[in-house]
Amino acid sequence: MTQQIILAVVVVFVAARLTLRYRRHRARPASTSLPPATSSAPSSKPPRRSVLVSVFGDAGLVAQREIRERIRGRVFQVGTAIILLVVVAAIVIPVLTRSKSQPERVGVVGALSAPLRTAVSATADGIGTTMTFVSEPDQSAADADLRSGKLDLLIVDAEQVVVATAISAGDTSTTAQLAGAAAQTLGTAAAFQAAGLTAAQADAISHAKPVPVLGLRPAATGHHKPSPASVVTLVLVFVMLSQYTTWILTGVVEEKTSRVVEVLLAAVRPAQLLGGKVLGIGLVAAAQASLLVAVALGLSKAVGSDLLHGTGALTVLVALLWLVLGYAFYCWVYAAAGSTVERQEQVQSLAFPLVVPVVVGYLVSVTAAASGTPNTFLDVLAYLPPTAPFAMPTLVGLGAATWWEFSISVALSVASTIAIARLATSVYRRAILRTGRRVRIRELMSAKPSASPRT
Amino acid sequence: MVAETAGLLEIDGLTRRYGTIVALDGLSFSVQAGQVVGFLGPNGAGKTTTMRAVFGLTDLDSGEVRWNGTKVDQPARRRFGYMPEERGLYPGMLVGDQVEYIGRLHGLSAADAATATKMWLERLGVADRASSKVDVLSHGNQQRVQLAAALVHEPEVIVLDEPLSGLDPAGIDDIGAVLVERANAGCCVLFSSHQLDLVEDLCESVTIIDHGKLVASGRVDDLATSGQRRLVVRVDGERDAAWARHLPGIVVSETNGGEARLVLDESIDSDVVLRAAMAAGRVTEFSFARRRLSEVFREALA
Repeated sequence: MTQQIILAVVVVFVAARLTLRYRRHRARPASTSLPPATSSAPSSKPPRRSVLVSVFGDAGLVAQREIRERIRGRVFQVGTAIILLVVVAAIVIPVLTRSKSQPERVGVVGALSAPLRTAVSATADGIGTTMTFVSEPDQSAADADLRSGKLDLLIVDAEQVVVATAISAGDTSTTAQLAGAAAQTLGTAAAFQAAGLTAAQADAISHAKPVPVLGLRPAATGHHKPSPASVVTLVLVFVMLSQYTTWILTGVVEEKTSRVVEVLLAAVRPAQLLGGKVLGIGLVAAAQASLLVAVALGLSKAVGSDLLHGTGALTVLVALLWLVLGYAFYCWVYAAAGSTVERQEQVQSLAFPLVVPVVVGYLVSVTAAASGTPNTFLDVLAYLPPTAPFAMPTLVGLGAATWWEFSISVALSVASTIAIARLATSVYRRAILRTGRRVRIRELMSAKPSASPRT
Repeated sequence: MVAETAGLLEIDGLTRRYGTIVALDGLSFSVQAGQVVGFLGPNGAGKTTTMRAVFGLTDLDSGEVRWNGTKVDQPARRRFGYMPEERGLYPGMLVGDQVEYIGRLHGLSAADAATATKMWLERLGVADRASSKVDVLSHGNQQRVQLAAALVHEPEVIVLDEPLSGLDPAGIDDIGAVLVERANAGCCVLFSSHQLDLVEDLCESVTIIDHGKLVASGRVDDLATSGQRRLVVRVDGERDAAWARHLPGIVVSETNGGEARLVLDESIDSDVVLRAAMAAGRVTEFSFARRRLSEVFREALA
């Protein structure tokens, strides 16, 4: 177990180093293109950039700049590191606290039959640990080993269990649990023997199947197991979605307030500038999210985390899909909102109403995921595009969504994203060049575009 | 037809209203390539709106802008260079990256953009700041970077809104020299300014607008020699030309350090002025002069 954790840490470390080197590599062409070595500039650029430009044209150029500037920014680097740490901690800490990595050492004095040994081993499995038997020559040697810590507990003549320190009532340590379970197992075996049962009869009693429990009414749909994987991924989706949409907002506001947008729009169309920004930040976001998911899945496999059991992996992948859909929906809203801002200070008051649906969707979903109980409100939110990025993965994590419910929600989200993108582009085109004061929505909707008087 | 409009930037009937305010009122003029043209007018005359209209940055109620006889569209604007009045650069982006990026947006390849950026930053004396962020640069250096961004793609048409404002004399000389050189290379160079002395030095032609309409346009030499005669008279001890103010048919156009510039009606004989000057004190200067651009400007707006 220890080795696996060390391996996991090494994997994360190597991944971080590779990411850093990748960033430096990307940053280099720009900073060295100006000192004499001109020939190095074009050749050292990663090929993906040219793909962007050849596919998306001017919007690809805009996207390229976004990617380079974002990745180079310290906020991004530190933010990625912090999120990675959270993911690693969320996976590794439960594994570390779950069980001791050393098997329990059980000393045996006198006889302990093979069936009893098997039964005691089985109890160890039952409490989630492993154990080995150590044969001791006599009682005094065994006591010495127990005192010195070479043994965790001792079974004497299959009649008695000895531990180094008496077990108090509230002790939940692995040794205490194992001692209790082993004592119970041995006691039951002795009772079976005293009752004169054969080994087969004793075995049948130990493995007795409970009778079925029938209900008169069908079970209320919906009580499911709380899903820790779902809660962790919801928190991450919330953090990342907030981060990416903030980039869009501040990016648009920065371009407008610094007036660089005038220079840019003298060369490219507003739709190209906006589309490139959305694309570039989206690619950075997708890369960051994929890195996190890869680390999360790889790490949980390496350390044997519960994350991969049951619906955990599915939840993570569904959350990734919804992160993309959520970004696609919100990026246009934030871009359009940013284009109406006149001064940097207005961003705060503007951001608040935009954050409300995100927070509502997030809180309702986290509550449901933590309690394991979906509710009608959550069901409704799962079909509304602004809240679906949180609510739908939660339903999936709780096993409360069918594939067609999921598909309908995705389709609704995609359709509304297309509509919102058109509307946002139109608002952006009209608002981005206007200066002097906050642009009112009504003016943007009015038939005739007009700009503030400037001479 | 083609020959007439080749190298000609035509501003044709631009009209732009903001509610009740008329920013441009059927403004028409044209700019010939190969010369530096000064674009003048009082504050609020419509200069910035006109320049923004060239780049499609403002919606027009009517009128169009043509280059080489063709209506200017997005592809054509890629061969234009623009320096807006309010400087526009990404505050946190490196100078070199920024100029390169704008070059690429105007259609340069990555390699060409890198080469041109290096060349223009050197030419404008800011090559050593290529790896600095824009917001740590001085005002003058930001202006040089802004000009580099307007010129990096070797545009055919260069439109600059107040490129000289707030610059020290060295900066004005450098940027002025670049503009003249671009015009000599065959570019169409239009720039606005309130510093009329500088415009007079740099420009071959000027266009003056007011209230969104053209009021005067032509070669600086033609404008300077046209109009009424004017005398430059200097009289010892008379710094504000009080002696000339009561003379009939005479307008005191400017007084500057004891030098009085007088505008003469057709009917006035200069001898009358000379006698009046001599009566006021010792005359140390008395000569006919060209109109200054500041006088052209003031008289055009009067």
